[in-house]
Amino acid sequence: MKKLRKHLYEGMYILNATLSEESRKKALDKILSGITEKGGEIHKIHDQGRSKLAYEIHGKREGYYFLVYFSCPSLAMEEIWKEYHLHEDLIRFMTMRTNHVKETLEFKPLKQV
Amino acid sequence: MRRNDSGLMFAKKKKNCPFKTSGFTDIDYKDIETLKLFITEKGKILPRRITGVSYYFQRKLKKAIKRARYVALLPFVAQE
Repeated sequence: MKKLRKHLYEGMYILNATLSEESRKKALDKILSGITEKGGEIHKIHDQGRSKLAYEIHGKREGYYFLVYFSCPSLAMEEIWKEYHLHEDLIRFMTMRTNHVKETLEFKPLKQV
Repeated sequence: MRRNDSGLMFAKKKKNCPFKTSGFTDIDYKDIETLKLFITEKGKILPRRITGVSYYFQRKLKKAIKRARYVALLPFVAQE
């Protein structure tokens, strides 16, 4: 059998901002355990905090942002997405392939515009 | 080269790509402060003939802005 290739992914998750701290932790654990159960590995979690959404999503104006770097077999991603769609507290998610893990989320400014 | 009203030739001033001069290799969709410089008040992407961004980086910029819109970091249409 062919050996499954693991790839590095970057996932951005927007959780419901009205959740209490405990239930938010539970909701994040549900996301993370979904990855590890499928043979994935978590590298880095950025807690970006609560912030205002640029537009309303399902009647919600605020969201709690998380950025997670993980590696996972590519075939498991479809199953992970299916789980996300059933997740009630997850307002929106986006996962994409990356080349490296960013330790800090600081960006250098442009010299001129 | 173009001709102005008096018939004299003048050269169009060439704009430099802000990403090339700043030494960018890629544009991240999480870098909203930079992305905000290249959209209008309504949230539309500015054409590169105005901003002077190179073809290569305009394609990267387009992708970054669209990704930022999906995760609600930037608006699709800004409300007045």
